[in-house]
Amino acid sequence: MFRTCDITGFKVDLKAQQLIRLNAVFAVISLLGAVIAALLLVFTRYQPVHLLSSEWYYRLVTYHGVNALIFWIVFFEIAGLYFGSTVVLNIRFCAPRLGWLSLILMVAGFILTDIMILAGKADVMMTSYTPLKADPLYYLGIILFAVGALLGVVLFFGNLMIARQEKAFGDTMPLFTYGMMTAAIIAFITLVTGAIIYIPTFLWSLGLIENVDAGMYKLIWWGLGHSSQQINVAAMVSIWYLGSFLAVGGTSINERISRLAFVLYIMFICLASAHHLLTDPGLSSAWKVWNTSYAMYLAVLASMIHAFAVPSSIESAQRRWGYNKGLFEWLVKAPWSNPAFSSIVLACIGFGFIGGTTGVIFGMEQTNIIVHNTIAIPGHFKGTVVIGTTLTFMGVTYYLIPLIFRRKIVGLGWARWQPWMFFFGIALLSVSMIVLGQLGVPRRHWDSTFSGGPFTYNFNPATDFFWTLMMLGGTLAFLATLIWILIVVISVFFGPKVNGPEDMQLPISALAPEGKRQGKYEAPGTLILTLAFLATFLILFFLNWKWLAATWGVY
Amino acid sequence: MSLLAPVEGWYAKKVARDEKMWMLISFVLCLMLFVWMLLWHVYGEQNPSNVTYRTTPVEFSRLHEAYIKKNMIGIDNGVPVVKPEPKSDVFFMGEMWRWSPALILQKGEWYNLHISSKDLMHGFSLQPVNMNFQVYPGYDYVLHFKPTEAGEYKVLCNEFCGIGHHTMIGKIVVIENDEDLKKYGYDFPEKSAVPAPGTDTAPATATEVAPASAEADIKAGELVYTLKGCVACHKTDGTAQLAPAWNGLFGKKEKVKENGKEIEVTVDEAYIRESIVTPQQKVTVGYEQTVMPVFALNDEEIRQVTAFVKSLQNK
Repeated sequence: MFRTCDITGFKVDLKAQQLIRLNAVFAVISLLGAVIAALLLVFTRYQPVHLLSSEWYYRLVTYHGVNALIFWIVFFEIAGLYFGSTVVLNIRFCAPRLGWLSLILMVAGFILTDIMILAGKADVMMTSYTPLKADPLYYLGIILFAVGALLGVVLFFGNLMIARQEKAFGDTMPLFTYGMMTAAIIAFITLVTGAIIYIPTFLWSLGLIENVDAGMYKLIWWGLGHSSQQINVAAMVSIWYLGSFLAVGGTSINERISRLAFVLYIMFICLASAHHLLTDPGLSSAWKVWNTSYAMYLAVLASMIHAFAVPSSIESAQRRWGYNKGLFEWLVKAPWSNPAFSSIVLACIGFGFIGGTTGVIFGMEQTNIIVHNTIAIPGHFKGTVVIGTTLTFMGVTYYLIPLIFRRKIVGLGWARWQPWMFFFGIALLSVSMIVLGQLGVPRRHWDSTFSGGPFTYNFNPATDFFWTLMMLGGTLAFLATLIWILIVVISVFFGPKVNGPEDMQLPISALAPEGKRQGKYEAPGTLILTLAFLATFLILFFLNWKWLAATWGVY
Repeated sequence: MSLLAPVEGWYAKKVARDEKMWMLISFVLCLMLFVWMLLWHVYGEQNPSNVTYRTTPVEFSRLHEAYIKKNMIGIDNGVPVVKPEPKSDVFFMGEMWRWSPALILQKGEWYNLHISSKDLMHGFSLQPVNMNFQVYPGYDYVLHFKPTEAGEYKVLCNEFCGIGHHTMIGKIVVIENDEDLKKYGYDFPEKSAVPAPGTDTAPATATEVAPASAEADIKAGELVYTLKGCVACHKTDGTAQLAPAWNGLFGKKEKVKENGKEIEVTVDEAYIRESIVTPQQKVTVGYEQTVMPVFALNDEEIRQVTAFVKSLQNK
């Protein structure tokens, strides 16, 4: 059963639409739980309030991690995979019943895991490093969810096979679907890795296996833990291209290059998980340098390519629309009042300047010594997963509400402000955490005054200032997320129905007109911006190495 | 065009000049970062160690205990203090929830720290220099350190290791000369003043002619308390965040849970013995989240610890 979209002209399989909707709904539920926990955590670490007991602090760190990094993101990605492989290609969903099975497994895993965490049976953090042991049902919950997600990924490939048979695309699939395919391939590798480590751990928690070696566990676990973030990156970048297309009619200035960058992700990112083990025993420097340089840097290169390709697609389109004055008219005259567009641009900036720079520096063998397991690490991935992926997913939802849920956005005025609020909140949170970490503050730590310990330690007094900033940033981001959730829930369940193109509140731009470029450069403004990014990176790079050189000698 | 198939000839399209420039810059940067890491191994002084030995938590805690017995020169808040010789091997252990021993190091000298865990993963986090290393059970990680500044340093734990994680903090003091020891209260009397615990160790020194006396038992009990790490949870200053404090404990009536039932017991010799041998049997009400692990103590050590607890009755 298809409907033909009266706004975009795409053929939409109603069964696929139903699955996309439900996965998106569970994504939002997970996010709500995650951010409520996040607020409580921020006010626990903010020492003047110190809200939770140590028991509940660690419980909610686990809960927040699992819900924010796994459930919210994977539910949304499965929705994205179904969207990219059916709606975009105008085809039917290959096996709707299996789609339902996948959803049921994922929801069962989601509920079971959360119950076990909140019941206090799994205070093990998201990483659950052995020999820390949780209740077997906790591992079972994660396994159920992962199997469900894996099935969803397989169905995505099933859809692509139908698309090939039906010749739904010519030479090659659209770039958005291509990027989602990248995400799906990485997801497949990741989820299988997850099975390799969670199944023995599950058996160990049941007492059937005597020992799961701590070193082996951590090594393989990060094959899941890190690579899964690369699913997010691939999905996020795909949505960036999509956003440029929807908002200004932009297309990659060279699709071959954009696709090459996606291929680099697939080939090199999985080995980069080695950067989680840089200060660990048992692994040689040769192994560490090899895995985090040749592998990681070619994946970093891919992100650098996208960092140029995404903004240049916007710049090039804007110039062809006539915003051609000077270096930055295209940026100033961009559709900033479109919340999807502003989300995507802000996500791109935050991901690069905060998450990207710190990611590369913290991922070097030696500089990792001065940040490993400090709060700078979650600070870094607030810059990637939260400003990058989460804000991007929030932004694209403003298009999904009318196009997939067929409802008008309620509170569009609020929606225009929401991405900015979220961006500034998380930027503040993230940068404060990075600075705190550089000053030695540990992550996942209930009491920075070390009450009950034989000694105490007073951090640099500057930390007080950054704790306050972190608290303010966290609160701002929490409010922004709440606004987003309210807009989504009210629109989807109570919003007025969309009956045709006249009800579409956000524009869908026509393709930017063909035009000859003037001057030697296709996107000079973008080049300046990327060079500014490079300068920021180099400054941070030398600051970190300077600090490292001032520490004790160690080999 | 991300929602539509690309236009005809997309594959043959020439790469724009600026995009080419950017890709080249990025690629060169990636190569530089790679070379930089390698060069730091040659010219830099801070590189993670390449030396690890396989061990087991049992073996390592035995090595650690023997090392402390041999080299301990004093006690700081229940943590044994050791002043290792430069270039010597130091056995440094993390357990729930303490680092042991506290170290006195000489500025500018190298030391070989063997770091491992007795139970879970821990995070060795040296402050304020902010150097961080992962500590595993079952892996003896040999890190060679050279302190570059004199002063007092703390070792935090930055890998989650259970509910008392935040109390896990150790101490390293770096001195330029022995004069500095006074500053930290580490100018202990001669090393021999500390008696060796247990029955299997060296005889007491000349000052303690009556090793079986009650006084000696208490001293030996305090040493067991320090060596085995009871101090990590049981304080003697009345604070009781993770476990009942030992001062004023002996003879007290405590509410405990046995098989889920709440009963009242009097803390006497028999109860202390039972709590050490089978700690899960009766759990004091209020401390259900921090159930005590089993520590392998022999009868002699149990007797000494009991004497120590008794001696704190009126403190």
